[in-house]
Amino acid sequence: MSIISCIGVNKSYQKDFLHRTKKKAVDALSFQVDKGEVFGIVGPNGAGKSTLLKILMGFISSDSGQAFVAGLPAGSVKGRQHLGYLPENPSLYSHLSIRDHLLFGCRVEGLRRSDAEKKINRVLHTVDLEYAAKMPIKKYSKGMTQRAALAYALLLEPEILILDEPMSGLDPLGRQMVVDVVHEYQSRGTTILFCSHILADVERICTRIGIMNRGRLAAVTTPGELAASSLSDLQPAATPLESFFLETIRSHSL
Amino acid sequence: MKTIWPLALLTFKDGLRYRILYGILVFAFFLMFFALLISGLFMRDILKIILDICLSAVSLGGLLIPIFLSINLLSGDIEHKTIYTILARPISRTQYILGKFLGLVLLTSSVMIILTGATMLTVWGATFTFAPHFLSTLSVGSILISCFTALLGVLVLQSTVFLWSSVTTSSFLATLLTLATYLIGQTVEDIVRFMSLKGTGAQISPGIQKTVHAVMYVFPNLAAFDLKKYAAYGIDIPAAEVEMLMLYSITYVSVALILAVLVFQKRDLA
Repeated sequence: MSIISCIGVNKSYQKDFLHRTKKKAVDALSFQVDKGEVFGIVGPNGAGKSTLLKILMGFISSDSGQAFVAGLPAGSVKGRQHLGYLPENPSLYSHLSIRDHLLFGCRVEGLRRSDAEKKINRVLHTVDLEYAAKMPIKKYSKGMTQRAALAYALLLEPEILILDEPMSGLDPLGRQMVVDVVHEYQSRGTTILFCSHILADVERICTRIGIMNRGRLAAVTTPGELAASSLSDLQPAATPLESFFLETIRSHSL
Repeated sequence: MKTIWPLALLTFKDGLRYRILYGILVFAFFLMFFALLISGLFMRDILKIILDICLSAVSLGGLLIPIFLSINLLSGDIEHKTIYTILARPISRTQYILGKFLGLVLLTSSVMIILTGATMLTVWGATFTFAPHFLSTLSVGSILISCFTALLGVLVLQSTVFLWSSVTTSSFLATLLTLATYLIGQTVEDIVRFMSLKGTGAQISPGIQKTVHAVMYVFPNLAAFDLKKYAAYGIDIPAAEVEMLMLYSITYVSVALILAVLVFQKRDLA
């Protein structure tokens, strides 16, 4: 049963002030993510990965096509009740603490103070930020900000997690923490849509991997298919996903 | 309201952490203290001088919030992508605009209430400094009402900040448009009055007259909210005038926010 689906989604950005030329960011994109899957999207810079996630969140509208999240049109307020989102460059309110942010998230959901406190403490423990809970975000390091944003995404134990470059700015310990979080949520049946540049992480975490290039989904594979393939024989220094990624991008760019 | 109120509280709390807010308060307090110091230099009208300066400080303190702080809190949200933090939760864009506005109403009201309190303290201080007959025209009611109408004027300007921030893509442009709105709002009534005078010797083309009239209906008449003269002379403010200003501000704020919501709903937050 698909929980995220895109059918022929298109999105173009104007390149100049007079709207004369446009750049296609997402080009007739169609794909589905099933419930409980960890679907990774990898692609070169400008492939349209972040644009796709913003369409699913409703931050930008598609020019044509349809996108659904949890059976509801992408961006609908009800649909967002099921979502946790980590943006590419987490932008939390720099003057406020992560506790303020999390309390806000709980208040929006109408949680009682005691329930909110439990959820806040649990999620701060998960991302190991209990010691900095009351510190303003502007005093955080990049890695701490990334973990704080992850805590905000995980707060209400969403059915669907949309993570845009979750490993960005994290040290090896932080990256391992994200891997553990993804595995934990996957075991609970959470669906995870995951964008990353770090192919090794995608290979470790995802149950299915899509390669995006020039706004299109150029190929979809699974770690099992990659392991069975002989692609890495062509480039011994590369992992199977790296080899597959390079081959796909090259053939798609021709 | 379940989602609007938490957002209003978040906006209020975020606004409180900006140093500019304290700069505004310190500047206004300084003006009030200055009023107490220099009023003694005037032979008469001591209370008028004190109230003119203090009530100007209240208005100025309130006006600086939409121009410097609200734009930071609203356009900055879009520029720095902090809006993603809000809209990642089940909050509609309409609720976002209303929550932010309510938060800024709380912030502006708090600042102006503090400044009104400081005005009353300054007047109280004057009772120790000057003989009672210098303060015989004091009308506390007029002072409070004039501060209230000043707050209404600031909220009207605040609503235009929301409109400009929805239409434009940069906080700089939104600041410029808000400043232009303020200047037009303060002067348009005088310009229209001047044009309607006969025998001024000025020839004004019908085209310009129509344009000025159109501007008068589109931009808020902020000068109408300035009732300092009543308080300064200790004259009671007619209830009908206050009611009219309340009705005007509610209507203007509602229309500006509805337009802001309509534009904002179509906007890509890339």
